Amino acid sequence: MRVVQCHFCSSPVYPLHGIMFVRNDAKEFRFCRSKCHKAFKQRRNPRKLRWTKAFRKAAGKELVVDSTLTFAARRNVPVRYNRDLVATTLTAMSRIEEIRQKRERAFYKNRMRGNKEKKIAADRKLVAENPELLRMRDVEIRRKAERLAAREAAMEEEEEIASEDMMSEDEEMESESESESEQVKQKVLLKNKRKTRA
Amino acid sequence: MQLSWKDIPTVPTSNDMLDIVLNRTQRKTPTVIRPGFKITRIRAFYMRKVKFTAEGFAEKFNDIIGGFPNINDVHPFHRDLMDTLYEKNHYKVSLAAVSRAKTLIEQVARDYVRLLKFGQSLYQCKQLKRAALGRMATITKKLKDPFVYLEQVRQHLGRLPSIDPNTRTLLICGYPNVGKSSFLKCITKADVEVQPYAFTTKSLYVGHFDYKYLRFQAIDTPGILDRPTEEMNNIEMQSIYAIAHLRSCVLYFMDLSEQCGFSIEAQVKLFHSIKPLFANKSVMVVMNKSDIIKTEDLDEEKQELLKSLNTVPGVEIMHASCHEEDNVMAVRNQACEKLLTARIEQKLKGTARVNNVLNKIHVAQPQSRDDVDRSAFIPEAAKNLPKFDLNDPNRRRLARDIEADNGGAGVFNINLKDKYLLEDDDWKNDIMPEVLDGKNVYDFLDPDIAAKLQALEDEEERLEQEGFYDSDSEVEDVELDDIREKAEWIRNKHKKMIVDARNRKSLKNTAIMPRDQVKKSFGEMEEHMYNLGHDTDALRERVGMAAKSKSRELSGVDILRKNQGISKAKYNKRKAAANQTDRLNDGVSDGALRSQAERLHKVQRRERNRNARQGEGDRHATASIPKHLFSGKRGIGSSDRR
Repeated sequence: MRVVQCHFCSSPVYPLHGIMFVRNDAKEFRFCRSKCHKAFKQRRNPRKLRWTKAFRKAAGKELVVDSTLTFAARRNVPVRYNRDLVATTLTAMSRIEEIRQKRERAFYKNRMRGNKEKKIAADRKLVAENPELLRMRDVEIRRKAERLAAREAAMEEEEEIASEDMMSEDEEMESESESESEQVKQKVLLKNKRKTRA
Repeated sequence: MQLSWKDIPTVPTSNDMLDIVLNRTQRKTPTVIRPGFKITRIRAFYMRKVKFTAEGFAEKFNDIIGGFPNINDVHPFHRDLMDTLYEKNHYKVSLAAVSRAKTLIEQVARDYVRLLKFGQSLYQCKQLKRAALGRMATITKKLKDPFVYLEQVRQHLGRLPSIDPNTRTLLICGYPNVGKSSFLKCITKADVEVQPYAFTTKSLYVGHFDYKYLRFQAIDTPGILDRPTEEMNNIEMQSIYAIAHLRSCVLYFMDLSEQCGFSIEAQVKLFHSIKPLFANKSVMVVMNKSDIIKTEDLDEEKQELLKSLNTVPGVEIMHASCHEEDNVMAVRNQACEKLLTARIEQKLKGTARVNNVLNKIHVAQPQSRDDVDRSAFIPEAAKNLPKFDLNDPNRRRLARDIEADNGGAGVFNINLKDKYLLEDDDWKNDIMPEVLDGKNVYDFLDPDIAAKLQALEDEEERLEQEGFYDSDSEVEDVELDDIREKAEWIRNKHKKMIVDARNRKSLKNTAIMPRDQVKKSFGEMEEHMYNLGHDTDALRERVGMAAKSKSRELSGVDILRKNQGISKAKYNKRKAAANQTDRLNDGVSDGALRSQAERLHKVQRRERNRNARQGEGDRHATASIPKHLFSGKRGIGSSDRR
């Protein structure tokens, strides 16, 4: 039993998965899934499809030249079983994988290095070019703040009313100023608005 | 080489030939001509007729000449046969006459075409044509006798049996009425006429049969009389030629009963006289009619005579009776055997042929290149092993024995791993992991993996020291955050604006109102202005004043106009939208500049008008289907350009 590589996308193909095509010159083509098989039948070039390993390697998006990648190879000379050797191999495999992942991360970081500066430059340019939009933004922020303030005020009001209701004294209601009754109206309005929005 | 001539085209009589060719000319060339035509046309008309007729004759004659075999090219047997049947000279002369007539006709046509080139009138040309065709007709009519003869030859040739001179052949010959035809009838399916009188068979007959899966032909010949060849008639000569030319087994038939009307002496004499023709052939003498009399019953004198037949080398005597079909098949088979052996001997005689085959055959035999002994290697241990014997109690124990001891097949499985050759025997039954983390363990299994891993670790350490893995410290900046946030907001806004504009523009099944008809309330305008970041207090103040003076609600446009100092009466009269620009006066400061601009405009148009050139103001209707966009094949790809 072996884990083989998909001929098209280079992903691992586990036993009992995928499909194999044997050409009449006895070359085997293994595919991890029907997507790859179909693409192969349509004579697509894996180097031109962005989702394949072949493309990523060709486009410099993956670690290609590295000493960690030289360990795995099909050897034509069979090696006799040796318990110690297999044990060291197993430990070595996990260690190699660890180092490889580390290097891949470094590789990715290196590849993405200049992006941040570029993005900041673009942002600065955009901000510099659109002062009128920024003015609109200021208005929006101001309005938001006003609305928030109003809501908070209303909430406080509500609490006050609730406490007054607890007292349930009619005389006090009359003594309330007119301005306060107006505020209650506003509160009702706000409530309605919220309802309509939901 | 051609062996039968069944598809020679028929030879018409000379009159028919004339009709055919002239009729064809009449049918296939133009017929209408008038004296008023150009003389060149008239000449061409008649020249064509003459040429066409000559070609027609030539074609017909060619068919005849090509269809008949050239008597010198055929097999000698056929040549001699045709000579006796049709008289070689007569045949050759007839064909030569046809050939000569062809050249003559071609000559006539050439001459008259030359004359026609100088014809002066229609009449003259016509007379020339008549003369030409007349001469051709005369030449053809002279071929009357050859044509009749050739037609007869054609019919006879077509009916000749197709005799292959080179294949396996049995040739039946002898005096007339000795039973040759009845023998042929016995051994083949050929339907030969058998009658009790001499010279029933007047020509060669062929029958076919199979022996040993090979095809044989048997040829029945007319009877021969014992006389010099010069005196023989055509019928006998056919037999003689067949005997002389065909590579065959000759069956000489004799009638011991003398019922045929010829004595045994005469028959023996004939055999001896045609003996020279039997050279290089296998010969059998068949005593036919054995149902009536046999050799043993003859008197001694005659038996002596018959013995003289044996003096010729390779002659075999057999008895047969076609009447009772007794011994016929034996005779046939014997003859075929003889013929086959003779043919094989003949083939072997030609050394070139044998050598040809021998040259192609090569039997490779290994040659020892040196004296080193390269015998098979058998290990000493294998040599010293005692021979395995099932009955020996001390025999080697096989895996099969172990299996049987432990309960037999299906109960016990032998351990195949027992025979593994490993450094430590404890390892034999280990299970080797095949896959680890999606990787094949066997791909990594390498005797010097430890060293390689060590090298990798060293490299890793070095890289770490060099700072390969160091990451840049993230510098957090409040200002940068602010800018990023603003940029993000702007991007979102752009997207929103695009979507809004699209929604505004899309019709959604409603009519478009002209912009000056759309009423926008002051509230909407104020909202918009406020959103853009303008101070709307001043605006509102004015509106407040206006609202006090007039009860009617003012629209945004009203207010704008009021701001610009345009009275309502004025814009009502002009009926132009306030937001429409005045294209005539835009960019022109005063009347003087305006008139100068107009003058320049005129001057610029003057030259174009003088030449009556098309200007941009001219009315122009483009083609609804422009040719260059709609003609030609469509390739793959988009059809946008149309």
